[in-house]
Amino acid sequence: MNENEVLVNEEREAEDNLEIRRITKDNAVFFSTPGGFIGMELDGKRYERVQVFRTFPFTAPEVYISVREPDWKAREIGLIENLNDLEKQTRERIEIQLNRRYFTPKIQRILDVKMEYGYAYFDVVTDRGPCKFTIPMSGSVARLSETRLIITDIDQNRFEVADLERLTSQELRKLDLFI
Amino acid sequence: MDMKKELERWLSAGGIEGPVLCYGFADMDLHCKYCRSYLALTKDTLVFLYLGAEKERKTFSGAPMNYLEEAPELRRFPIDTLKNPQVLDMVIGGQFCVEIDGVDTDICSFTGAYMANMRHVCNILSKRIEGKELTEEDLKEPEGRGYCPKCGGPYPDQNRRICPRCMNKGSVFKRMFAYFLPYKWHLAGVMFCLLLTAVFALFWPYLSGTVLYDQVLGGRLQNAYTALVLTVFAMAGTKAMQQLFGIIQGILVAEIMPRAVNKMISNVFHAMSKLSIRFFSDRQTGALMTRVLDDANEVVGFYIDSMPYLFSNSLIFIGTTAIMFLMNWKMALLAIALTPPVFVIFAKMEPRLHHYYGRRHRTMRTLNSQINDNLTGARVVKAFGRENSELDRFGKASSRVRDAEMALVKYDNQYYAVYSIAQNLAVVLVWLLGSILVLGSNEISYGILITFAGYVSSLQGPMEFFSNAFRWWARAINAGQRILEIIDTNPDIMENEHPITLEQVKGDVELNNVTFSYQQGKTVLHEICFKAPAGKMLGIVGRSGAGKSTLVNLISRLYDPQSGSITLDGVNVKDLSFSCLRRNVAMVSQETYIFMGTVAQNIAYAKADATYEEIVQAAIFASAHDFITKMPDGYDTMIGAGGRSLSGGERQRISIARAVLQNPKILILDEATASVDTETEQRITKAIDQLVVGRTTLSIAHRLSTLKNADWLIVIDNGRIVEEGTHAQLIDQRGEYYKLYELQTKALSLRGIEG
Repeated sequence: MNENEVLVNEEREAEDNLEIRRITKDNAVFFSTPGGFIGMELDGKRYERVQVFRTFPFTAPEVYISVREPDWKAREIGLIENLNDLEKQTRERIEIQLNRRYFTPKIQRILDVKMEYGYAYFDVVTDRGPCKFTIPMSGSVARLSETRLIITDIDQNRFEVADLERLTSQELRKLDLFI
Repeated sequence: MDMKKELERWLSAGGIEGPVLCYGFADMDLHCKYCRSYLALTKDTLVFLYLGAEKERKTFSGAPMNYLEEAPELRRFPIDTLKNPQVLDMVIGGQFCVEIDGVDTDICSFTGAYMANMRHVCNILSKRIEGKELTEEDLKEPEGRGYCPKCGGPYPDQNRRICPRCMNKGSVFKRMFAYFLPYKWHLAGVMFCLLLTAVFALFWPYLSGTVLYDQVLGGRLQNAYTALVLTVFAMAGTKAMQQLFGIIQGILVAEIMPRAVNKMISNVFHAMSKLSIRFFSDRQTGALMTRVLDDANEVVGFYIDSMPYLFSNSLIFIGTTAIMFLMNWKMALLAIALTPPVFVIFAKMEPRLHHYYGRRHRTMRTLNSQINDNLTGARVVKAFGRENSELDRFGKASSRVRDAEMALVKYDNQYYAVYSIAQNLAVVLVWLLGSILVLGSNEISYGILITFAGYVSSLQGPMEFFSNAFRWWARAINAGQRILEIIDTNPDIMENEHPITLEQVKGDVELNNVTFSYQQGKTVLHEICFKAPAGKMLGIVGRSGAGKSTLVNLISRLYDPQSGSITLDGVNVKDLSFSCLRRNVAMVSQETYIFMGTVAQNIAYAKADATYEEIVQAAIFASAHDFITKMPDGYDTMIGAGGRSLSGGERQRISIARAVLQNPKILILDEATASVDTETEQRITKAIDQLVVGRTTLSIAHRLSTLKNADWLIVIDNGRIVEEGTHAQLIDQRGEYYKLYELQTKALSLRGIEG
């Protein structure tokens, strides 16, 4: 590729960015790589590995999935409008990657919350296994809706309380000071 | 247990010999479930040890799991088949990925707490792959999330490796006490006043009960009226003395408090000014300072208020109890027996009440910031016609405040109901038993009963105090610890003990293999080498985030590189005295800072004794003279916080004038024209053109046109020098620089401006 082509390419990319570039089951095929990632073939162009990002991780985790190049620049290749429009197997492949990227265990049971010196120490059971974590007393619990919480711990790990109403009253009382 | 040894044992059981160089913990399996696994690196093999799903987390996330209960499953990867290891940043935690036979392979995943450790493994692995020898420094384990060695809990604050539950409170107490030693006589006075107040407080029930009712009104005295008058005088005297000593104590406290706080804060500020820039960029400076002020008040309040009260309250408590037992042991026993439950109720319910207050405070704060948001953004709200939805939003926030307030009031009422029932119960029971003893067996007199009731209620003050005392103590010690921490921090950039001061600086700057990272494992600059000969201009080009600003910060020693050296006229900057270095290196950056003061003071910042002529000359040089004189107050205009606000270009030119006045041999321009309009840019460029004459200049710029005069250009990408040469050479090379240059000239010509 000579330098003129490089320039032409960069210009074209700049123009392309003005439109949503859709990835659908008609123009793209996703495949699992031997290394445990996913790759994609889009309109005949093969990407040995791609990254997938959610654009609305909290409110709509299944729509507008951004597919990006694997390097640190992570240039966007295109957007998947809705995961549910894809084949089941493809969807599952992508979901594995997404779940990894946005690892957010859902808290099922709250065993203990201890508060000391401005920090709270949690002992919980999540859908991904038992866990103990620590949060600062203020600013670490975000309320996404009336019944849904996201808790961020001191290591920037996230935990979700999907539905406050499903907790027992004892558990609720332990959370009382955060909501 | 030594984890490396433990891992080596399992590895050799699997037939892999040799010492473990480093290891990391990975707590997530392929299905994103918590698991227990390790990644270990020996001299020639990377090994993944998998122990299965997490059944029970015994430690907090982040604390190392220094035990392997069962034989792990091993996956081995010989180093010579591996390439390009990297830790991929996920939104949560990371993933260890390495190229095996050209295929990117996922090795393991882990949550946020283990990132630092895994980066360390990744670093060492890439050094091994490149076949480099490892130094001691390389193998030093990173300071990841720390955990308390005593209790196993994580340090809540990364930057403060202190476990609030286990810290040595005694030593903090002693060191902070040193601040009050100069006021020991004052303190003794405070103590004395409180003791006297306590003694008088003990007198009061006796006077108002036994003496008044039994002795005086009992009618057994001959001169009943005289006695009555005397008693009333004694009672009035007691109260008066109590008040008097209270006032003296208040005066004494007022004498010590501001002085001790002042001393503490100035010590902290003094320590802070010596700290390197890293300390400030790791924390929020503003928050830090207000914190220090609060902390100092907290500590001082504890020492001169709570501590003396501790003595007086103890005295009241012991004294009251003793007197009660002397008077009547049965009633005393009853009164004392009821204190522990009251105390427990108080100690249990109090913290919760505080949390409710905290919650109300937080909701109020949210509401306030929302109101503020709305008022400042009123124009946008109106323009988009969103008044109604804003009302909704406000309604939600205000109903949160209402709920918090109601919850608080509800709890507050409960609390007081329970508390006063428990408290009054004690008094009622004492009255009951007392009445029986007075009427039934005549064992005690009515006066004694009154006295007793008085004593029972005077126990309440100390009790409330004691139930709060622990919390106050903990808060004060924590605050004291924070203060000491700043005072104790060793600046990580220190002046050489025998610094060299160069009399005459030529301005040769040279960087040799400079490698630097802010956090261990994330290398920002990688073996940078270049020379900037005296008087020449060196241009530094690269994308934002490539490490350009970091590079120039190293020259003025705002940070020190991890390896490699930076020399000025052949002398390592680490050996130069700070004054020599800072006098000769000046920086004009995109972040200009204007201090509170006049324009003249701001220009003369680096040279406080500058004459008017020098200041005006510098301003003319920086093309700032014109706009300064046009302001009504000229060079005496107050600027900075609270003063007149300046435009970006004006601030920039003042900071250039500052650099001119400093007259440095080495000038660093960090995007000096980044945020100004074209006309101002031209003015600034003109100013800079005059400024660079006869100085070594290192100039960072996005707009390559500003670098056209540079004698040498280096192009940085991802922390490495990818190209260097003169403008013409780089254009001929048709590489990265050429690409950027072409793009910019095209963009400019599109806008009708010639590059």
